[in-house]
Amino acid sequence: MRVGLSWDFDAAASGVSSFGLALGEAATAARLGYDSAWVRESRMGPASCPHPTLLLTALSRKDATVQLRSIREVVRANPVRLAEEIAVLDQFSRGRAGLVLASAGRQGRPPGQVHETADFVRSAWVEDEFRYRGNHVRFPAHTGDDAPSGTSTPEARGSAGGYAPQWEWGPAMPDYLTITPKPHNPRPPVYAEIDDDETLEWAATSGVSPFIAADVPTDEAVDRLVRYRKVADSAGRSRVEVEVVLERAIVAEADPGDDSALGGDATGIVATVRDLHAETGLGHLVWQRRGPGDGDLFRFAVDVYPLLQG
Amino acid sequence: MEFWTGGTGLARMRAMPSSLADGYDTFVDEAVTAEKLGFAAYGAPEHHFMYDGFIPFPLEALAAAAAATSKIRLVTGAMLLPLYDPLDAAEAAATLDVISGGRVKLGLGMGYRPMEFDGLGTAKKTRGTRLVEAIEVLRRATAEDTFDFEGKHYNYDGASLSPTPVQRPIEIWFCGGTSERAARRAGEAGVPYWLANSPYEATEAIVEEYRRAGREAGWPDERLRVAAFKDVFIGNQIAEAESLRQVMLDVFYEEHILGYGYLVDDDGQHVYNPPKDHPMYRRFVDSLFCGTAEMVVEELKRYEALGVEAVFLPSPQRQLIAEKIMPEFN
Repeated sequence: MRVGLSWDFDAAASGVSSFGLALGEAATAARLGYDSAWVRESRMGPASCPHPTLLLTALSRKDATVQLRSIREVVRANPVRLAEEIAVLDQFSRGRAGLVLASAGRQGRPPGQVHETADFVRSAWVEDEFRYRGNHVRFPAHTGDDAPSGTSTPEARGSAGGYAPQWEWGPAMPDYLTITPKPHNPRPPVYAEIDDDETLEWAATSGVSPFIAADVPTDEAVDRLVRYRKVADSAGRSRVEVEVVLERAIVAEADPGDDSALGGDATGIVATVRDLHAETGLGHLVWQRRGPGDGDLFRFAVDVYPLLQG
Repeated sequence: MEFWTGGTGLARMRAMPSSLADGYDTFVDEAVTAEKLGFAAYGAPEHHFMYDGFIPFPLEALAAAAAATSKIRLVTGAMLLPLYDPLDAAEAAATLDVISGGRVKLGLGMGYRPMEFDGLGTAKKTRGTRLVEAIEVLRRATAEDTFDFEGKHYNYDGASLSPTPVQRPIEIWFCGGTSERAARRAGEAGVPYWLANSPYEATEAIVEEYRRAGREAGWPDERLRVAAFKDVFIGNQIAEAESLRQVMLDVFYEEHILGYGYLVDDDGQHVYNPPKDHPMYRRFVDSLFCGTAEMVVEELKRYEALGVEAVFLPSPQRQLIAEKIMPEFN
């Protein structure tokens, strides 16, 4: 079981203090053995973080161990830039970057746009010259309707080639382009929030890891993750290729107060998480920090984390 | 005069093979060194779809530099603004401004490589007007709590920026290449102008045109500020400096200046892969100043006398510049 931290910046009053707090907490968490830092794209307040990759890139230079996960929307993001940003983060962090695609419902977008963006980004990271034709994504922009659906690559030209290096292209706009840089890890992990049936089915059959956000009630989260597992099993997907992620607020030594948080003493929290693992295959618990000094990172690392491991 | 610089490592030059991850480490290490040496700003550029992995998002490279430094300003040079949604660019700039404690400067250019526009879905022919509009969007987004904007390419109604940047507004520079046309655009828009490598005489003409256009548009002189990107190569003799310049031409500039349409002829047309004796390429080579430290000081004093308030020196000879050149200013 891996354990990470995430931050809710929309509730913060000051970006300077909340970003600094998150960077400090993440560095402390890394020293204490936590596994990951997750930052969600947000635009709801003066301290929001519309570009989580920038914060994670800064964090990558303060710590050399934690996994860095950028939770991104597709509404505003150019998918080319999304692929580039994560690749650059992956290079700066030497292979610790990952992408979570926020749910279509939260963004008011059709699920297909999220799926297409994930498909495009994964192609961008591994393909050299390629083009993409989808309902929401066209790359390069002049790609016509006659191009095959999804990703396509140039046909082999044989030893005669016809190849010219890009500094000899002149003003020509080739049909295929290579998105660079490539990530350090050839295939950074991709996750999707599975809060609509279409996305749940797509993620489960496509090898995309499921992510459940902190505001989803735990019972509903379990239901979705169980369904995800069934669909994936039916599709013949291996369980080891994905990571099941659940984000929760944690209220230590008290009743959690809502049905989407975890709470109680250390023994209770451990029992709950272990049950969640047994029911859903949960592999990564993300502790959503709700404000400065929310919970004791050291105590959790000492009292809870070891008991989740075996 | 302020001295700005930029690091290496944000691409794998084909003549100097290296690991990109190692290069990124070098870029951050050089930011730390530049800060210690007293440079006022440290920069990162932008290009896309390059075989050498050229950094596509300068603010991200600068976020890494921000984490390792505390004082030096972080400047994009140039961020290719027509390739962004301007409010998205403003959000990214504001995010880095918060992360860095208010150290961001934005050098904003229009871009010129055709594949970048096609790849990112912007019509290249609109880049000039897009840049001017988008700069105004960035200025207002970073200065005002809410704003409306109605342009040919961009429209915002009651827009606001989150996070709120530390600097209100974030400092903006119009990176205008080497043409008088671009200088007129920047002057008419009343945006501080950062011109690319040009011989002194051309710089003088461009700065004059910029100020004339700005004054005609009614902008006060204090708004018509000028910076210059200026390669300098320092040797004990001129021949030594010229040999350093030749290395830079061989490993980087020859490809990047000749190959992708950077050069523009007198008719405003981009020139691709001209012979090395093409007058525009010769003009570029001549703009890369070679000399002893004393000669470089003398040359930069001429720029200072023109009212150039900052020079961006991308030179790896930073230590030498800090020791021999910078003390002669301010």
